[in-house]
Amino acid sequence: MHKFVAIVGSNSDDSTNRKLLQFMKRHFAAQAEIDLVEIKDLPMFNKPENRQVPAAATAIAEKIDQADGVIISTPEYDHSAPAVLMNALEWLSFHIHPFVDKPVMIIGASYGSLGTSRAQAHLRQILDSPELRARIMPSSEFLLGHSLQAFDDEGNLVDQQKLAKLTGLFTDFQTFVDITKELNHANEVNRKEVQNVNWDKL
Amino acid sequence: MKLVGIAGSVADKSYNRLLLKFIANHFSDTVDVEILDIQDVPMFNQSDDQTDSESVQYLSNKIKQADGVIIATPEHNHTITASLKSVIEWLSYKIHPLSGKPVMIVGASYYDQGSSRAQLNLRQILESPGVDAIVMPGNEFLLGEVKDAFDDQHNLKDARTVGFLKETLDKFVKFVKVINTMNGPAADDGWKSEDLESHGKVETTIEGVDMHAADWVEKASAKTHAASGDDYVELDRGVLTVNQLNYFLNSMPMELTYADANNQFIYYNHNADAKDMLASRTPAQAGNPMADCHPKRAIPHVQQVIHMLRTGKTDLFKLPVPGNGPDKYVMHYYQAMHDAKGEYKGINELVLDIMPIVKYYLSHTGQVLAKNPNAKTDAVSGASAKAATPKPDSVSGASADVAPEAPDEVSGASADPEPVTPAQPEVDSVSGASGNDN
Ligand SMILES: Cc1cc2nc3c(=O)[nH]c(=O)nc-3n(C[C@H](O)[C@H](O)[C@H](O)COP(=O)(O)O)c2cc1C
Ligand SMILES: Cc1cc2nc3c(=O)[nH]c(=O)nc-3n(C[C@H](O)[C@H](O)[C@H](O)COP(=O)(O)O)c2cc1C
Repeated sequence: MHKFVAIVGSNSDDSTNRKLLQFMKRHFAAQAEIDLVEIKDLPMFNKPENRQVPAAATAIAEKIDQADGVIISTPEYDHSAPAVLMNALEWLSFHIHPFVDKPVMIIGASYGSLGTSRAQAHLRQILDSPELRARIMPSSEFLLGHSLQAFDDEGNLVDQQKLAKLTGLFTDFQTFVDITKELNHANEVNRKEVQNVNWDKL
Repeated sequence: MKLVGIAGSVADKSYNRLLLKFIANHFSDTVDVEILDIQDVPMFNQSDDQTDSESVQYLSNKIKQADGVIIATPEHNHTITASLKSVIEWLSYKIHPLSGKPVMIVGASYYDQGSSRAQLNLRQILESPGVDAIVMPGNEFLLGEVKDAFDDQHNLKDARTVGFLKETLDKFVKFVKVINTMNGPAADDGWKSEDLESHGKVETTIEGVDMHAADWVEKASAKTHAASGDDYVELDRGVLTVNQLNYFLNSMPMELTYADANNQFIYYNHNADAKDMLASRTPAQAGNPMADCHPKRAIPHVQQVIHMLRTGKTDLFKLPVPGNGPDKYVMHYYQAMHDAKGEYKGINELVLDIMPIVKYYLSHTGQVLAKNPNAKTDAVSGASAKAATPKPDSVSGASADVAPEAPDEVSGASADPEPVTPAQPEVDSVSGASGNDN
């Protein structure tokens, strides 16, 4: 069974993105093991000269290392991913590189009708940058708009069409994870390259 | 023109901060750039609203008062830093100080592509509806390979880069004027709302005591059980008794006046009789609304100056005031005061004869004053005219009335080493609380 890390891209107490991931964890329990990870307690990234990465960040990096893939659920703030998620990704690319060649599925929930389409595009761009080099599942987008109304009292997705889409994408993601394992011929080089991307030496 | 600069970094060292400092110093003739710190701004969190915190309010107030904003962005993972994004989120959640603000984006990065992706992202973010800033199109100032860009003095080495930066900044100055004109009548007559009768109140206003009373100080002290004599007062930074505070303030070689945000004259350092002061005050005046301290004809000018300071069009209005004979060169400085959140708390008026300082400097450096044959009178008054800012900025309509005639003419006269020309009524009237001493 695949093991996934699911990053809650919001630090809000009542995050609908957290609700979405909690729902997936329950709903797909038979297909995969999903471990929710919070990023809200990471300190503000300040590029420390001593290169000390906080323990909370290295703990997340280890979980990602051991997982078959990562699911990130992002809110949308000002047409982009929220600072708190960008912050986590800064720490997770600062002298540690857990995302290199890691399969990633991006989803998102927002209060409005567009459901984080721009934040997801932004997040793709970030995860594609040379220090992160994640393997983002292509041509897939799960947008949950009107997220405050999207769940019932048990925390289940109300909209059956949305659920069908999510189920389909999640199954695809599992396949994507397996295929990605075959796409391994550049893994070594990628890992070396990322270690050589040393901004301090540029 | 008043701009604020924000560097998108909370690292101890930041080339983007260095770039902003360079802009502020190198182009100080063109623009007045105040660099704002984002170090203390917490991570944005919808469930822990810090909109009212000092650090967020400070940024918001500074931005609202500025004519435009320059943001210098690093690039992390092909986007802007979380620390900068967090600031923007606070400024787009419950408050929207960037709405309608002209913004110029610059960026420095270690790489030769120099923050191009971060700049593009930032543009998108700033133009989203919650932020609603107006980003200058066109010129993209990218400073790549930034580690080699500055010399030991923190100046940009490459003359062409400086040239392009200047071009970009000049364009931004025009852009700011256009946008701020487009944003509507720059409330040209906002100054009329300045109530010199002090009918309003601020949180420190002492109610129930007649402001006009000659013994306002005694009554107000009794009413508030004010500390006095040997009572200790905690200050930033130290502890003094009230007596010590008085020794200290009364021994200042200048005249200090405090007018609060309600335009009430609540304090002066009483170290001389009215007749011996450069700008006379009497003990009975303390507590008066500012209207009481000025002749009627001076009121509109005083209102305009106060309004410029309150709205941040300028933080310091300075003005030479003649009428004290040829041996004195009396300056009036009106400095806006703010709390840690950047909220206006009144005016610190400082009146000082600078001739002793000038004479001291000359005698100790073996120099003499000489007339500059090339100086137009205007050029001489440059210093004061610039501080007043009004002329070059089409935006600061209110102040435009005050400055050009007043300070220019006076300082023109004083540029002359020979006896100073007699006082000009218009000028005195501008000089705030001191207007009535002629
Ligand atoms: C500062 C701020 C900016 C926002 N900007 C957007 C936006 O650009 N687009 C959008 O769809 N929702 C926007 N929202 C509302 C978000 O949809 C909502 O807060 C978030 O996505 C819900 O995620 P969560 O429930 O997991 O915290 C914004 C919210 C905040 C606080
Ligand atoms: C986590 C991390 C990611 C970075 N990613 C990029 C990048 O994608 N592109 C780039 O040009 N520089 C990148 N850099 C280096 C930046 O050029 C540099 O940190 C910054 O822009 C310089 O500005 P500053 O001195 O004001 O921080 C990265 C640095 C760190 C620490």
